[in-house]
Amino acid sequence: MTTFPILTVITFLPLLAGAAIFLCGARVARWLALAGSLATLAVSVPLYLHFDKTSTGLQFVESVPWIPSWNVEYTMGIDGISLPFIFLSTVVSVLCVGASWTAVQVRVREFYAALLLAETAMIGLFAATTVFLFYVFWELMIVPMFLLIGVWGGPRRIHAAIKFLLFTLAGSVLMLVGLITLLRTSGTLDFEALATMRPSAQLQSWLFVAFTAAFAVKVPMFPVHTWLPDAHTEAPTAGSVILAGILLKMGGYGLLRIALPILPDAVRLFRTPMLALSALAIVYGAYVTLAQTDVKRLIAYSSISHMGFVTLGIFTLNRNGVEGAILQMVNHGIVTGALFLCVGMIYERTHTREIVAYGGVAKLAPVYSTFLALFCLAAAGLPGLNSFVGEFLIISGAFDTRPWYGVMAVWGVALGTTYILWLYYRVALGEVKPGLQALRLELDLREVATLAPMAALALTIGLYPESVLSFLRVSVEQLLVASAAQVGVAGGM
Amino acid sequence: MSSLNAIVPMACVTAAAIAAMVAEAFRDPGERMPIAGLGLVGLVGAAIATVLLWNHNTSSFGLVVADDFGLFVTGILIVVGLLSLAISGPTIDRERLPAGEYYALMLFATAGMMLMATASDLLVIFLALEVLSLAVYVLTGIRRESPAATEAAFKYFLLGAFSSAFFLYGIAFSYGLTGSTRLDSIRGLTASQAPAPMQLLAVGLVLVGFAFKVSAVPFHMWTPDAYEGAPPAVAGFMSTGVKAAAFAAFVRVFLSAFEPLRGQWSDVLWLIAAATMIVGTVVGVAQSNVKRMLAYSSIAHGGYLLIALLSANDVGKGAVLFYLLTYAITNIGAFGVVALLDNASRPNDRVADYAGLWNDHAALAALMTVFLLSLGGFPPMAGFIAKWYVFSAAVKAGYSGLAIIGVLTSVISVFFYLRIVVMMYMTPGNTPAQFPAVPKIAGAALVVSAILIFYLGLLPTRVLDWAAASISAF
Repeated sequence: MTTFPILTVITFLPLLAGAAIFLCGARVARWLALAGSLATLAVSVPLYLHFDKTSTGLQFVESVPWIPSWNVEYTMGIDGISLPFIFLSTVVSVLCVGASWTAVQVRVREFYAALLLAETAMIGLFAATTVFLFYVFWELMIVPMFLLIGVWGGPRRIHAAIKFLLFTLAGSVLMLVGLITLLRTSGTLDFEALATMRPSAQLQSWLFVAFTAAFAVKVPMFPVHTWLPDAHTEAPTAGSVILAGILLKMGGYGLLRIALPILPDAVRLFRTPMLALSALAIVYGAYVTLAQTDVKRLIAYSSISHMGFVTLGIFTLNRNGVEGAILQMVNHGIVTGALFLCVGMIYERTHTREIVAYGGVAKLAPVYSTFLALFCLAAAGLPGLNSFVGEFLIISGAFDTRPWYGVMAVWGVALGTTYILWLYYRVALGEVKPGLQALRLELDLREVATLAPMAALALTIGLYPESVLSFLRVSVEQLLVASAAQVGVAGGM
Repeated sequence: MSSLNAIVPMACVTAAAIAAMVAEAFRDPGERMPIAGLGLVGLVGAAIATVLLWNHNTSSFGLVVADDFGLFVTGILIVVGLLSLAISGPTIDRERLPAGEYYALMLFATAGMMLMATASDLLVIFLALEVLSLAVYVLTGIRRESPAATEAAFKYFLLGAFSSAFFLYGIAFSYGLTGSTRLDSIRGLTASQAPAPMQLLAVGLVLVGFAFKVSAVPFHMWTPDAYEGAPPAVAGFMSTGVKAAAFAAFVRVFLSAFEPLRGQWSDVLWLIAAATMIVGTVVGVAQSNVKRMLAYSSIAHGGYLLIALLSANDVGKGAVLFYLLTYAITNIGAFGVVALLDNASRPNDRVADYAGLWNDHAALAALMTVFLLSLGGFPPMAGFIAKWYVFSAAVKAGYSGLAIIGVLTSVISVFFYLRIVVMMYMTPGNTPAQFPAVPKIAGAALVVSAILIFYLGLLPTRVLDWAAASISAF
């Protein structure tokens, strides 16, 4: 399309900005970070303008030999599946910079450098077209996230950071084993080339277990989700937003990018247990959410439930389900990210996350409460707002193949409405709690500017879902056709 | 004269060592002399010679071969020597060590290592082993007033002498059976006969000697004590230089002379490699002293190198060299940070001492993070490429089991590497400014190491090609 290496530029621009921050003082750090992340967003605009929605192949491809003796290339390219995630990464990063403007007061330079390094890792991951590069960015993401949680987090930050690290590493180590095996048996690590090969069914199963373990930790799926509440709760606001907004999506993206096209037989073999775990995550996550007394923890557990929808949608293996899953990931990034921003903003003023400490916030801070209401309603799946579309697609996809899982998902939606509206009720409505009166709870202009884009996105996607779906339609179709054709069973659709 | 070319690199270093001794002897008490500069000259000379000898496959006396494999290791040893010289300065000043003796010993040891890497005769290998070992024993105990240092040196010496005896015994058996100590003749003779029990004994004894020097389990007991007792700069030198030289000879002997007996020794080596990785990492987790932690980590890294040695297909031999290079740079860097934090009043070598390092020495903390992450095998550092190289060689050679153990243990090792990161960044320090200032040369050496780590991690192609090309010789 163009010879300008746009993907490389948007991947490494944040890193450059991060390096520049180190050379300048702490006062300029915020502005540099803002400039860096905004510039990245600006440079990425042509991606959407010149993206060919009818093309099945990779676009904006860049390829340079990297380690020729190992047949490893540095190649980047995107299709309809990766594009929404790149968009999400660039937008969320800008908002994270905005959200940390006053919240981070110690080690400001290092904070923004870590944030921008994380942005590089995220964008690189979504633009990578070889498993090797995917793995490199996957690992690169761990370090800044570990530091963001462990250095700038809450009181139990070290515990949370180490827990996050252990879970993630346990997953990625299995992925490394799978990666080496894949290279040895297939001789290539290129996504497109791998999708045309078909390892033996037994090998596929092993590879599926290895890769899915890594992805399941990130998503996080049911039995390996326990790091998430701690990490979310202890991380600083920007860290929570990145966790919810992007990091969790890396797992779902991995499933779509590696498991589905490369290991189709294994996907079919493990489909039922994966669906069951997803449904369990939806319902169990929702019930645990109901019991939370800490706002951040509540949203963290709701993430587990919401991400259960994503894996459910992916393993329905039909168009509605997979499109819904991708949309749900984008939506979850927007809505949960925005909820964490809201919580962070009020926490900065009250320094408590206990729900019982709040009440009647709507009377004191009408603008804040309006935003909160919007995001809560979006999270609850109100038609007209973004999450509704994704959840609806996933549920209809599930009803097409495995109706009982659709029923579970509907149950999850009902519970989700309960816990999120109950949260809003307890925080924003009712009597004004003593102690809140004296605080200036209303948002300032910077905070409104941080939340407004999220609100606009929630409304846009909710009212006009084609704005996202049109990008991914062809790629999803191709993904499903490719994986079904390889399986050789008509029932795949 | 051309037959002497192959020994030029070690001759340069030896000359520098002798010059250092002479300079020390004629130094007035209290006079400061740039003796490290002599070492620098010698090592640069050796580097030039190495570059000139590259691809010429020179041989001296039929005992020393400057093939590309040996020269690659020589290059690693030059890097080790230069970095060690650079980080030794502060230790010498603080501990009031005799600079001339210190540098002379370090240079003699380096010359011995170079000889060991290029020797093609079992007796010359033994000679080189003794040259480097004796120098390193003394360096370990160079802090004479310190009981810990003396204990470490004595322990190292006793066990080292024992292992040398094993090694020599093995050579004797091998000589008795084949009538030669030259690697190529031994290979020819072992290939032509059925393996005799006596021959297996010879292989086993030589293996014990090597296993001791590369601190492979169960011959690793001396390592933590020696590294803890030695000055950190020496520990860095030992953990990298000795390992590189010993592995070079290990590879040469087992992949040429004893190659025909592979069926006999590969299972033993498999077990040793697995045990080395597991013990190194599992015991490493329990350490509260950074030097001991790094000692166990270097034991574990020896295990990864053993995998590479074992899977000595075309990929594996190159992996040994690349791994040795990245390991050498990284480990010296890590010990360099330990050396720079070493204070006159307190050694600052417990993990807890690193609390709040970020506040006092942000740059040192960042460098240490780079070294530790590279040791742990994180991309985009060199350690990742090196581990990838080793594990893919292992899988290719059919040692998937070892590769899996390697991957799992390297994750466990990340846990203890990151304990230090947690300390440095996330735990507030108790008493501020307990760390000494960083001298310029040592700091610059660490920065160069870090840059090399990123270079090898991001653009490894050139060095990978050198490593791959230099093993085609045998």
